[in-house]
This record gives sequence, C-alpha cells and structure tokens, in this order.
Amino acid sequence: MSRVLIAGVGNVLLGDDGIGPYIVNVLNACYSFGPNVEIEDFGTPALDFIDNMVGRDALIVIDSVDNGEPPGTITLYRKSDIMRITPSVRMDPHSPALVESLMAADLFGSSPAEVLLVGISGECYNAGCELSPAVKNALKNAVKVVLDELRRLNEPYSVESNTSVVDVWWSRKDQIPVQPSSN
Amino acid sequence: MTKRITIDPITRIEGHLRVDVEIANGQVSDSWASCTMWRGIEKILEGRDPREAWLFTQRFCGVCTTVHAMASVRAVEDALKLEVPPNAQYIRNLILINHALHDHIVHFYQLSALDWVDVLTIPKADPAKTSALAESLSPWTRNSKNEMKAAQDKVKGVAASGQFGIFANGYWGHPQMKLSPEVNLLAFAHYLQALEYQRKANQVVGMLGSKTPHIQNLAVGGVANAINLDNQATLNMDRLEGMRVLMSEVINFVRNVYVPDACAIAGFYADWFKIGKGVNNYLAVPDLPLDSKGTQFDLPGGYIFDGNLAGVNRFKTAADQAFRDGVTEDVTHSYYEGDKPLHPWKGETVPDFTDFQADKKYSWVKSPRFQGRPMQVGPLAQILVGYAQGDPLTRKWTDAALEKISAVAGRKITVDDLQSTLGRHVARVIRTAMLTDLADKQWQLLVNNIAKGDTAIYNQPQFPSGEIEGVGTHEAPRGVLSHWVVVKDGKIKNYQAVVPSTWNGSPRDKDGARGPYEASLMYTPIANAELPLEIIRTVHSFDPCMACACHTFDPSGEQIAKVKVL
Repeated sequence: MSRVLIAGVGNVLLGDDGIGPYIVNVLNACYSFGPNVEIEDFGTPALDFIDNMVGRDALIVIDSVDNGEPPGTITLYRKSDIMRITPSVRMDPHSPALVESLMAADLFGSSPAEVLLVGISGECYNAGCELSPAVKNALKNAVKVVLDELRRLNEPYSVESNTSVVDVWWSRKDQIPVQPSSN
Repeated sequence: MTKRITIDPITRIEGHLRVDVEIANGQVSDSWASCTMWRGIEKILEGRDPREAWLFTQRFCGVCTTVHAMASVRAVEDALKLEVPPNAQYIRNLILINHALHDHIVHFYQLSALDWVDVLTIPKADPAKTSALAESLSPWTRNSKNEMKAAQDKVKGVAASGQFGIFANGYWGHPQMKLSPEVNLLAFAHYLQALEYQRKANQVVGMLGSKTPHIQNLAVGGVANAINLDNQATLNMDRLEGMRVLMSEVINFVRNVYVPDACAIAGFYADWFKIGKGVNNYLAVPDLPLDSKGTQFDLPGGYIFDGNLAGVNRFKTAADQAFRDGVTEDVTHSYYEGDKPLHPWKGETVPDFTDFQADKKYSWVKSPRFQGRPMQVGPLAQILVGYAQGDPLTRKWTDAALEKISAVAGRKITVDDLQSTLGRHVARVIRTAMLTDLADKQWQLLVNNIAKGDTAIYNQPQFPSGEIEGVGTHEAPRGVLSHWVVVKDGKIKNYQAVVPSTWNGSPRDKDGARGPYEASLMYTPIANAELPLEIIRTVHSFDPCMACACHTFDPSGEQIAKVKVL
C-alpha cells in the first residue's frame, strides 16, 4: 500500500459532483507520480473508503462541497476541521461520510495523519455529465493545490502533457470503445 | 395520545431515506417511507450506445456499482438474444459472489451490528470469559483472550478520550439492548476483524474486474478477461490460485465467525422474530447461470404471495415471462406525473414535486408492484423462495442456522419465524453461507472449463435496425434488481432501473397498499419515542441503499484556507 492516496470522489452522472473523479482523470493523464503515491477515482465510496485509508500516511480527497461559497471556489480543509463534525444517526447505512470513515480507520488501525480535502463549491448537481463553467474554471487551481500538497509531503511528480486537453470518458458524446478487441 | 416522529437525519443534497411514524399506545400506528431526492439519472443513457451503458449504470450508486454493471449488460444481451460463453458466466458469477460476500459481511458487522450490540457495556466484560464463550461456538483461531482484551482496550480508549467519535450517536443503554457485556465484546472483536475479511472478498472482485470500485472487465456478450494459462498478463493458473487462497480465507471467516455470531445474537433476541413482518409477498430472481443460454442456475428464483410457502411459483429463467409481464411502477404517491401504473419499458419519469403530503405525494421513489402487489425483496425473499422449492443448498444452510438459533433461544425457531426483522438478518447470513459453497463450486467450474481447452470469453453483439426490448436481472445483495432497455436502431431509446430499495422502500400505491418498509414498521412496540432504536433495527434489517447518488461533502467545520479562483 502506498504512503499517499489521492482520491477523487463524487458521482460523475450528477454534474458538478463529478469534479473529484474528473480531476483524477486530469492528474492521471497529465502527470506521473512516484511509487509512494496512489491515485484513484472512487466514485461514491461510502464506507468502503475506510479500507483505503487504514495505514496510509497522507490522504488527499478531491470532492465537491456545499458550503455556500460561489461556484468554483476552492476551500481547503485539514483533518482537524473534518474531525470536528459529529456523525449523525445513520438511517440509511450507506450514507457516505468522510468523517465517519476517518474515525473508523482510527478504530481499525490508523487513519492518515495528514489529510487535505480539496473542496470545490458546485453550482449544479442535476443529472448530466457536464461540469458547470465556473467549476471547470477551477480545475487548474485545484490541480495546483494537489501538486503543492505533494511537494509539501516530499513526493515527486513530473509533467507529462498539457492539463487543458484531457479526454474524460463520461463527458464524451461519441462512442466509448468498450468491447474486447478479439477473442 | 398519538405522537408523530420523523427520522430524517441528514439535510444534505443527496437523496436520503426519511421515515415518519405515528406512535399510539406505545406502538407504531402508521408509517411512511420516503426518499428525498430525485435521481432520474437513467435519462443520461438515452441516445447512447447500448454497449457502453454499463459503464454509466455502475455509477448510479456507490455501494452497488458492480450489480448495476451486470444488470445492464444482461439487459442488452436479453434484447439481442445473445448467448454468453461459459467462461464469461463463471467469471461474472465469481465477481457477483465475492461482491455479495463483501457486502453482506459489511452489512452485518459494520452497518447493523451496533443496533443490537451495546458498545458501552464492553469495558465491563471479562475477556477470559468472552474467549471461552467464543471458543465454545466455533474453532476460529482468533478468539483468544488477548484478541478480546485488545478489542476491549479500543473501546476503553474511545471512552477515556471523552470523544465517542464513530459511536457518538448509538442508542447505548437503551432498554432493548439485551446482550451481556461478554457477548457484546465478542461481537465487537469480530466487528474489527470483519473489515479484513470483507476486503479479501473485494480483492477477488478487483482481480477479475481489474479494479474496484467500478469493474472494467465487462462487455455486452461476455467479459474482457483474456485467458491464457501460459501468459503472465492474462488470467492464468497463478491468478486463479491467488483468488482461491483469498476466497478460502473469506469462506473460513463466514462459516466460523459470521454464521455463529449471527445465530447466537438471533437466539438471544428471539423476541424479534415476532416483529417487523410487514409485506409477506416475496420476489426473487434466479441467478448464477450455469450455461450459455441461462437455463440452469445455482440460486433459485420465484415468488410467494401472502406468506404461503406451499404455493411458491418458480421462475425458470432470469427474465421469466411472468416477471417480464408482471412488473409495473405506480406513481400515485410519488413526485411524478402519471395516472396509472406503467410497465418499465413504457416507463416515464416526469417530476411533479409537492411537499411531503402524507395523504398525497410524499416520496421520490416510485412504487414497483408485481402482478399489482407490493413485494418484499432481498435475502429473505430468496431464502423463502428457495426453501419452499426444496432447493438442497438453501435447505442445508437454513436448517443448520435454525438449529443453532433454537439451541440458544431455548425454543424451536422455524422457517416461518424468518418473516420478521430478525429473520431478514438471519436470511442474509444463510445466503452468505450458501455463497461460500458456490464460490468454491464456480471457481472449480471455471478451472475445469479452461482445462478442457475452452478459452472463449465473448460473443460479438450485432444490433438490428428497428426496435428491440430487453430486461436484465440480478439477485443483488439487497434483492431483485432489473434493468429495462429499449434499443432503436442500435441506440438506447428508453432505460429504466428498478432497484431493490425501490421495491422495499416504495410508498403506498393506488390501492393504498403500503410498501415493505412501511408495512414492517406497523405495530412495532416503541419503548421511548425520543430514542427510536426499534425503528432503526427494522429499517436496517432491509439493508436500505438510497443515498449514494450524490456525494457532496457538507462541511460544518471551519475553513482554514481558501483559494479564490481568479
């Protein structure tokens, strides 16, 4: 298991909620990372997230946030901010919750000491695969924040290609090649 | 005096389950289940290539990604009458089995055990007695006094910190919490261990599916796992052996930990076999196909009306004609336009939001009905349908579980008792035990077939011009899942997913018949309306899953830094 996990979370079918997975696609396409860094699009991981936290030193989560700021605003949260939230009674056992996952990770082993949540305020969460323009504009800064954090953690990365031209499958209008090539 | 309570804990933008109950004379006198957000994400699929639909459908939900991928490829294959090579069936089956093993273990331990296990009594437990009790129940090697002591120390640490953290909102000390400190400690020690074993099952899903969540190996017509026993990059004997080792550890955990724990806890809480029956119509689809055409299955399906097991009806195929013809969705009490129940192929999703109006519209969930009736789906439905048909595997594990539970309860617990809140938990552990046998079996089937020299994994789909319809079903961890697709000239014209939590969480229909959650809550005794543990127990027994559509983080903490976008 690598020391650092970069996790994009959110539902790619619900507009700006897909910004986390979108940025993971951008990072994967445009940068290469050292062996200590794992980067993953988790979609909406619910409590499965625990598994992927236990035993890591650092966690970078990229997610949309609902904090009343204008769309496209990037707000950073550290572990102490997140842990201040008290989990609520779970009616539905799958309610996704970052704070619960971190608490559970501590119970089962250890949660990452370093947590950064890169929160991007969204505008539209309706069904549809497009990001709103304000959120798309936030992309470069969000990527920069992630790379700054890697530098702070002394994890190297290198640039492979330009951030502005990335093919993200769920945004494609034409057909996605999914069938096996031959048998 | 009638008192109304609403359990609607979260006001974020995701869809959530909300439950309203009226309590009179110490028991539930009326109930409503509703979901607070419109999904409607099937619309995204209209006009797309049917071969790629599964990539999108597995993003419907964060917990059940795999199941929506599987139902989608099956729906398109059904429309095309396309057969699937045996290797592809076995590989898909192994994915589904391991996904379900993971899901059921997580549900019992991480998501619902603490409804029954009072964590705050654990510091009082005697670890030596706990260990002795555990060793009397099973030969599991991780039941030592030290193991129990370590688990107890974790709880003591949390309690000493003054911050209950993940335990902050449990109903600790509730009069309905009845286990001894030792049994609570035993369950909690296994709660900690369970996380390791569910992960191993998930690893098998990842090995076959290339990644999890969101498997990548499916295709309409088969799978994309190239098979070559001499090639390191493909599915070969090393990988198959690696999977078998992981599965054997999970199997061992289920048989020696989950089964004895669930049966012991059920025996101690045997009163709960009388609570939470609700809708006693049951629906299950056959699954784990054994041949290319899908005529033989490892898990039987069918339906039962009015709890009459002797009158069980069997589905011969995964998309049996009776199922195709029998499903409709009613929107009388849902926030959609429409004046009559519609078949999913004709389904419409036109929102018509009003506020919560208990006598009119009150939920974003539609009301699926089978032959006009509300149906309970999930492991209980599957176990009852299989048991009633005399399925040997279902009988073997059901009888074994009932015997263990009866021994603890000190009275005979029967198959009929399973129609209850506690029975839904017991049925889930029975199903999990059945899947341990089937994991071994399906692995062997795959290995034997490859050994015969068959490496076929895929049949190419061909789309005709004109309109075709298909339904893909899957007996998912939460019950019957069906995807309904209409394809016109090779493009998706209509797509509807009828999911298990819609069957179980449906609002009333045009006839006023309550959905399964609603019906199961009726007449439940409530000790304290301020601490409605009894309601949580019954709702959790269904393993509801409606919240995963949208995941925005809602911070109430303070911000430490802001990056304004220029």
